[in-house]
Amino acid sequence: MSLEVTNIVVENLPRFEGYVYPNESGAHPLWGFLIVLYPYITGLVAGAFIMASLVRVFRVKPLEPVYRLSLLTALAFLLCATLPLLFHLGHPERSFQIMITPHLTSPMAIFGFVYAWYLMAVLLLELWFDYREDFVAWSQTESGIPGIIYRAFTLGVNDRSEKAVALDHQMSWIISIVGIPSAFLLHGYVGFIFGSIKANPWWGNVLMPIIFILSAMVSGIALCVFNYMVLSWVRRRQVDMRCLDVMGMFLFYALVIDATVEALDWIHRAYSAVEGFHVMEYMARERLFYTLSIGQVLVGTLIPLLLLGALQLLRKRVPENVRKRMYFTCASFILVGVFAMRWNVVMGGQFFSKSLRGVMSYKLQFAGVEGWLMGLVLLSLPFIILIVLIKLFLSERLPTSGHVPHRAENVAG
Amino acid sequence: MVRPKMPPQIFRLVLLTLAIVVTYIIARYLLTPASFRQYGFYRGEALAEHASHTPVFAGRKACLECHEDIQAKLFKGEHKTIGCETCHGVGKEHADNPDVKLVKIGDNGCLRCHEASPSRPAWLKQINPKNHYREDKCVSCHVPHQPNEVP
Amino acid sequence: MKHFVSRRNMLATVGGAIAGLVSLVAARTARGAVKKILVATNAPQDYDPHQHKWLMCFDVDKCIGCGLCVDACKTENHVPQGPTYFRTWIERYLIRKPQPGSGVTRGEVIVDSPNGGRDGFPPPTVPREEILKSFFVPKLCNLCERSPCTQVCPVGATFDAPDGAVLVDPNYCIGCGFCIQACPYGCRFLNPETKTAEKCTLCYHRITRGLKPACVEICPTEARIFGDVKHPVENDPIQAFIQKNKVFSLKPHLGTDPRTLYANLDKEVR
Repeated sequence: MSLEVTNIVVENLPRFEGYVYPNESGAHPLWGFLIVLYPYITGLVAGAFIMASLVRVFRVKPLEPVYRLSLLTALAFLLCATLPLLFHLGHPERSFQIMITPHLTSPMAIFGFVYAWYLMAVLLLELWFDYREDFVAWSQTESGIPGIIYRAFTLGVNDRSEKAVALDHQMSWIISIVGIPSAFLLHGYVGFIFGSIKANPWWGNVLMPIIFILSAMVSGIALCVFNYMVLSWVRRRQVDMRCLDVMGMFLFYALVIDATVEALDWIHRAYSAVEGFHVMEYMARERLFYTLSIGQVLVGTLIPLLLLGALQLLRKRVPENVRKRMYFTCASFILVGVFAMRWNVVMGGQFFSKSLRGVMSYKLQFAGVEGWLMGLVLLSLPFIILIVLIKLFLSERLPTSGHVPHRAENVAG
Repeated sequence: MVRPKMPPQIFRLVLLTLAIVVTYIIARYLLTPASFRQYGFYRGEALAEHASHTPVFAGRKACLECHEDIQAKLFKGEHKTIGCETCHGVGKEHADNPDVKLVKIGDNGCLRCHEASPSRPAWLKQINPKNHYREDKCVSCHVPHQPNEVP
Repeated sequence: MKHFVSRRNMLATVGGAIAGLVSLVAARTARGAVKKILVATNAPQDYDPHQHKWLMCFDVDKCIGCGLCVDACKTENHVPQGPTYFRTWIERYLIRKPQPGSGVTRGEVIVDSPNGGRDGFPPPTVPREEILKSFFVPKLCNLCERSPCTQVCPVGATFDAPDGAVLVDPNYCIGCGFCIQACPYGCRFLNPETKTAEKCTLCYHRITRGLKPACVEICPTEARIFGDVKHPVENDPIQAFIQKNKVFSLKPHLGTDPRTLYANLDKEVR
């Protein structure tokens, strides 16, 4: 079963129009759903981390309730980030070669190191320093598998003195500062992979890494809003409205910057109209209509801009429950819109032929490694991991010293 | 003199980091292919592996060893630029064992090059097969090895 | 007593580390040696890649679009049979006459490559009277001096060989497809059987034995010119080709510095 995804609706299009190089004329794109998914996931990681660093580095106090949730979100998604790549490779059993003989002229070669660095030296380390005090406390009171986990994570150090905790906080702050450029590198290099391909005018563009990073931040913040509201709803707890309003504010301004730069990209392309632009414009209009004009622009950018912008101006007049619904709607729309943006970049670049004379209409399969089904499974996996992480590390009944979404009534400290 | 002690959590982390780095270095040394960097950033053996495939086409020189007379005829005419295997197909088997015969190219074989097309350059002699002696085979009037001769 | 024990411990640790390192080096050397014995290639022993720099050029006016080169390449290199896997292919350009009074120099340009040109070309859909001009252009790896494809390989599986060929190591390629995306000329593809990138190798197994690439061997009109630029033979066709023709390369603005040269290339060719 295969769905025509050129416009997400079922249409009977010829394999290609105009002239495409014979090697491009296959039925399926070389980089499919999995390669759309990978930048989406790492973008969410980078964005969620930036949200957390707003608390740690820039000391935005109202955002404290979502600090740990943001970090755990980043971790859950980062753990799944390699899977789309592994599944996509022709020889996943040789994937270790990227760490053994990394070809340093290739942006893809830094993946192994940037990923390892970000996972171990930034995310896990920051989480560890923030949680260490709690790990020591919980390892003494909890039993069973969670108890084993907490004990393991103390690394055998049981110091909870003030001096040790102060050191923990300082280390966390330092790592957060280091983490911001690391997050930009983690996602920026993916944008650079596309931006450096001069063979493909849709991709090879100096704004590409910047657009990737900006849309990543927007999507990460939106994901934190989304997760926070869903978690509160599941737990039947009140959302901290001040926190939500500040998140909404950051989301709005990040979206403004992102939309501006993306619009600049489009305006510049249309104005300078280098060779092949007319084919690109045809492709954007026809092949990418639903994902670009509707998905990315209307749903993902314009509607959230209007709603969030209205909220910035009229916040006091809008009742809380209406605001909550608007924030949730905007966050969901943005998540869809950023996914559509990744889709448009990855698939658009492949629809557009390097012969500069033609447009392909690749199909995506439903089943199979590169199909829809696998993509949806991989997209839901981080949420499942996040649920486990929340149960272990954001449990309401455990006393905690850190910044958590909902404090249990009998919290100590 | 009191040496400042490294806080225990930092010390454990440093140990862990060292263990990871050392493991990586050892793994990298063991797993890098031996011929890597021999010529450049790739496995040097790959060149030999590419060169070791068995050629399929024999090449014109191989035919020349036995069929000098035909080559001499060819060189006089307009087909002198054409290799033997272009028309007769892969000749390796025949070159190894002359008892294996090659096809004389079928009738449509001539049309592959000589069928008229507006895309073909003017210097090429082209015919429209519908108008040009439809009933006969090409070889009844033309000698492929010496196209300017008649049989 | 305590002192003595710790020194013994230290010696044991250092000795163990040295022994470990030595065994690592020995293991790797042994593995390399065993591999050499087991994987004996029948590569020609007397070929030195540093003594050659191979080049392929095209004379567009001589190509008659018979497609025998495409077929020969598939036969010689066991390329997958499908219509989307080509190490070399032929493109046909049909330029229509402009509408009378329109003020333009040429009408629509129609380009096609049915099955890469492997079975020749069917008659054009445009009637002969409406065609301003038409020609065939063979394509393959442009043997770039600054290959973007080898630049982006993350593991070093595709490379510029010292003798000018751009090759893929199918035993090392991880199949990520980055090189295929990076080639501006569309000459690479993913082999569906080996799941690695594949491209024209200049018939490396032939040129290292003094033979010509299969496509050059089969071409009936000498539209494909092949030679060694580093130590050219007597009457080397490449020298004559460059000297007698105005030569062009494809997509020069991308800075890949393609070494493959075309004579008599029309401005419509990409």
